[in-house]
Amino acid sequence: MSAARDMLCDTARAVFAEAATAGIAPVEEAGFGLLLVPEENNGFGGDWGDVNAVLQIAGVIVPDLPVAELIAGEAFQPAATVSLMAGAMGRALSLSIDHVNTRQQFGRPLGKFQAVQQSLAAMACEVRAVEAAAAALASRLDAVGLDAAAADFEIAAAKLRANRAVGVVTAIAHQVHGAIGFTEEYDLHRVTVPLMRWRGAHGNDAFWAARLGRQVAGFGGRGLWEAMTARGA
Amino acid sequence: MQGFALYPFDPPGDIAALRTDLRDWLAANQPQSDVVARANCWASFDASFSRALGAAGYVGMTLPTQYGGSDRHPLERYVVIEELLAAGAPVGAHWIADRQTGPLILRYGSEEQRQRYLPGIAAGELYACIGLSEPGAGSDLAAVRTTARETAEGWRINGQKIWTTGAHFSHIMLALVRTEEGSERNAGLSQLLIDLDTPGITIRPIIDMAGHHDFNEVFFDDVLVPHGALVGERGQGWKQVTAELGLERSGPERYLSSHALLVALIDAAGPEPDPAITTLIGELTAEIWTLRQLSMSTAAKLAAGEDPMVEASVVKELGNAFEQDMPRRVQAIVTSGWDDENDLAKLLRALLIASPSFSLRGGTREVIRGIIARGLGLR
Repeated sequence: MSAARDMLCDTARAVFAEAATAGIAPVEEAGFGLLLVPEENNGFGGDWGDVNAVLQIAGVIVPDLPVAELIAGEAFQPAATVSLMAGAMGRALSLSIDHVNTRQQFGRPLGKFQAVQQSLAAMACEVRAVEAAAAALASRLDAVGLDAAAADFEIAAAKLRANRAVGVVTAIAHQVHGAIGFTEEYDLHRVTVPLMRWRGAHGNDAFWAARLGRQVAGFGGRGLWEAMTARGA
Repeated sequence: MQGFALYPFDPPGDIAALRTDLRDWLAANQPQSDVVARANCWASFDASFSRALGAAGYVGMTLPTQYGGSDRHPLERYVVIEELLAAGAPVGAHWIADRQTGPLILRYGSEEQRQRYLPGIAAGELYACIGLSEPGAGSDLAAVRTTARETAEGWRINGQKIWTTGAHFSHIMLALVRTEEGSERNAGLSQLLIDLDTPGITIRPIIDMAGHHDFNEVFFDDVLVPHGALVGERGQGWKQVTAELGLERSGPERYLSSHALLVALIDAAGPEPDPAITTLIGELTAEIWTLRQLSMSTAAKLAAGEDPMVEASVVKELGNAFEQDMPRRVQAIVTSGWDDENDLAKLLRALLIASPSFSLRGGTREVIRGIIARGLGLR
């Protein structure tokens, strides 16, 4: 990551931590609404790579605040949601790892049980897939100068992939946490409930699968490969 | 394990031109093979195709020119490999030599070994197999028992390897053997390069449930190979093999080996498929697009000289699941008889039968998940 993006992320972590109790106002005051506004218009002049990084942090710390709406317009909300989902899934994974390394049952930490290890490995694969989808979508949006229509294939693919990961990630996170994860006092629901909501927001699985499937049917079998390689690397 | 930092996939040179050149070359040189041979194509053996591919400079691409290679960037090789797989080209003959054995000889081999073996590998004419698994050592590779004792004449090998893909057509085997008497687990293991025409070697076929002959049992009965057969350092075999497996687990073959079925599904569906098939095509596309990003990023990390053991395992796990699910999900939705002879039906039958092996080859799902769990700090 660039030094500028590192600084942006540091700022985002500090501001979102404050916003977690104070609401959206500190995020507005810090100027995150200007993230995508060009520098000549007195904005930050950021790209979607920056947005992706910031929204992943928002997905970890303030999944309930309208940070995505503040930063990007309506056409970009599906893409923004993928970034939020990647962040929230990463948070669900880290909470799960911390929990199983701490919680003792049958005389040893839960994380030492092979069945628990295998479940968390499966969950980690899903989280990595969504992180990769969010990053690849960011590359595409930046390559086409933030033209959402030109990135429709990638938006559909990334949102659909993220949607499909929700079931696995939330189920395993809650399973390895046991009852504590189902309580109001524990932090897990702060990310799993938004994940459940985001799966249906800005296009559910059926919506994006149909939208992507129609594009690909138009490409033809060999055309799918040619389209994928022509659109990135 | 930190978040999946997506390494930028930025091969040098004109990648679009590299793809175009290769696509043109394939249009002129790829044999009109049966549709089933095009699916699971890294198991399709075609010696003349491998030789032509080598002559065109597409095998041993990353090897230095002094050994017959093209000195290309690893990510240029990646692009070529994904094009070959997406086209269903029969790369099985030289596949292991190109992917693993060549790079390993370059990295750990002696100068004599490099000069002796690498030019043939780069020419697409010298084939290799991997001598890892044994009857008592599959997923538990540290249980290897085949021995090699150093004598005045050379290394004397006794034991047995199993599940050895391509041993029946390979010229050499890179074998993991126990060189220290009484050693246990992953200590005392070394890698030996064994010419398979050495006396004392018996190769017996194992026919798989599709009726194919890919696997073999290989028996070593007092086989004598020269001192110079040792690859790398004596006793460092485990470390070398672990590095080798990283090359094996993250390549595009982990999600593209069954690509022909997706192509056939899309083609059979036509430009305006019914809603259920449209949905399935969309779901499979979202998965393959994501897998490609993961695989490319892992390749970029590997090319940068880092060790992406965990990322490579993620690619293998997700890629295997995708390739296993795809035929089942296609079967669940298309109307097709088991014995039908159209392309889609033939591919579906072949891949349904082949698919149980996908989460076995290159490490079982449970072992791969164990590696990921270790990366998560759970072991």
